[in-house]
Amino acid sequence: MVLTAEVIGMLVFTLAAFWGLATWSLVRTMRQEGRKVEILEHQDRMDTYSPKALAELREWIRANPDDPLVDDARRRHNECIEALEETDRRFYDWSDEEVDRLERI
Amino acid sequence: MADAKTARAEWGTRFGFLMAMIGAMVGAGNIWRFPYVMGENGGGAFVLAFLVLLFLLAVPGLMAEVALGRYTNKGIIGAFRDVLGRGGLVGLGVIVLLVNIALMSYYSPLIGWTLYYAVHSLLFTFTATGFEAEPFMEAFFANPALMIGLHTAVMASVAAVLLLGIRRGVEQLVVYAVPALVITLVIMTVRGLTLPGASEGIAFTFSIQWEYLFEGSTWIAALGQALFSTGLGWGIALTVGSYLREYDDVPLGGGVFTAIGESSIGILAALAIFPVVFAVGVEPDAGAGLAFVSLVQVFPEIPLGGLVAILFFVGFFLATFTSGVVITEVSVTTLTEETKFSRKQTVLGVCGLIWLLGIPSAYSADILDYLDFVFGNWGLPLATLAIIGVIGWVLGPERLRLLAVNRNAGIYVGKWWDPVIKYVIPAVMIFIMAYFAWEDFGSPEMIGGMLVIVLFPIIGYGIMSVLEGRGGGPDTTDVTGGDD
Repeated sequence: MVLTAEVIGMLVFTLAAFWGLATWSLVRTMRQEGRKVEILEHQDRMDTYSPKALAELREWIRANPDDPLVDDARRRHNECIEALEETDRRFYDWSDEEVDRLERI
Repeated sequence: MADAKTARAEWGTRFGFLMAMIGAMVGAGNIWRFPYVMGENGGGAFVLAFLVLLFLLAVPGLMAEVALGRYTNKGIIGAFRDVLGRGGLVGLGVIVLLVNIALMSYYSPLIGWTLYYAVHSLLFTFTATGFEAEPFMEAFFANPALMIGLHTAVMASVAAVLLLGIRRGVEQLVVYAVPALVITLVIMTVRGLTLPGASEGIAFTFSIQWEYLFEGSTWIAALGQALFSTGLGWGIALTVGSYLREYDDVPLGGGVFTAIGESSIGILAALAIFPVVFAVGVEPDAGAGLAFVSLVQVFPEIPLGGLVAILFFVGFFLATFTSGVVITEVSVTTLTEETKFSRKQTVLGVCGLIWLLGIPSAYSADILDYLDFVFGNWGLPLATLAIIGVIGWVLGPERLRLLAVNRNAGIYVGKWWDPVIKYVIPAVMIFIMAYFAWEDFGSPEMIGGMLVIVLFPIIGYGIMSVLEGRGGGPDTTDVTGGDD
């Protein structure tokens, strides 16, 4: 039986969608791991949130001051800022201007 | 106590965590069910439906489950207690634990089947002159002593791995076994694709029948595969996630890679199995019929068939065995934390209990099928509902996303995630349980399923109410109420 273009196309799509994406995510997460290890060999801690994620966390803390988990959220927020201020190598894409503008809550 | 409880273990490497997730989730279903279900439900149309459901349900759900384990750094019951506060409601965690023990009690005999065939592949039984697949399988299934012996060997091996601990046992097993499984399937794929007539198998699996996209049965099959194959909400991802290290990512590795990588092995199994099956002209099948009859008939017919049989059955055994080890680890982790027993004592106790409960399933394949149906359709969705329900409606998805999912994350997870966890996954789980109850209304399986749905929560609630020394109402908790 000769394979039709449609079947071959579906095979290629399936391989790209599954194996392509699985390989991409594996390579990406292993590379990130390598970078984290490299950073932690140079310093004892590092930033834990991306600019977008930290902004969202900050927004949530301000909007939910009485939430039972707000202290934990605040601790995690401030811990990230401390790491950004006190270390020179960063995992996420933070600019110095962004870090300068950050305030502890 | 022999080994005092010290600091909690952690995965030694990122790769170890990833392989533990894949090793746990890839099991018999990927090898002997997925290829056939795909071919029978419209091929390419099924792939599209499956992919949509993976991204809609499995990826976000796994992120949530891993994140809860990572956030609490505890096993099932400890994690539930952190969220719910002390009291009877922690019994929701007991449901997950009971379902896991029940699941492993009938999965262990099944691992025994794969072990038996792996040993016979190494002895080149399947390519010996005069060998007949069907009588061989029937004789095997008619031998309860052998079945129980294999079940015993499997549980002893699982215990041996778990006794070595997370890093030296589970991690050392999965970092070799999972890549070995992939390599064996790749070699088998190459062998199959180079056979004359292999294209029939490709056409069976990957031809697109778009009309299937508009049939409910396709979506139900894809839904079952997306949820059951990825092990969402069974406590496995929570347990594996609880051993993550401080700066480890959750959503990219625990969500995207696990769901897609796990499913990729099903795709690879389709490519490894059906070209060979069709090249020889054997009828495609699913389950034991595919692995133990169709494929076994194929091996003598193809060049290097004896070696291909070894690759397939050893790979198949590794797939099921790694799942069995991590499924058992769920109970070991939580019971080690919740009792005064050491890890060694807990491993021996849990494996002994599973061995005992597994004897009926080892004795009779009918009992195994019954339990598989009951727990597959009602027990496991109930466990998923317990875990995702607690995250969605008590802890709150937004809190978990902000505090754990996006912390040290390899990808950013946005607000879209919150309603998926809170509404979509619980609704789908309730739908699944109701759908199968309606489909099998009045059958012994349905009655068994209803007993599980009613009794497990009562047992869980009762046990935790007594153990926590309260009347059942939650004491104090930090996080009740949900956040959105």
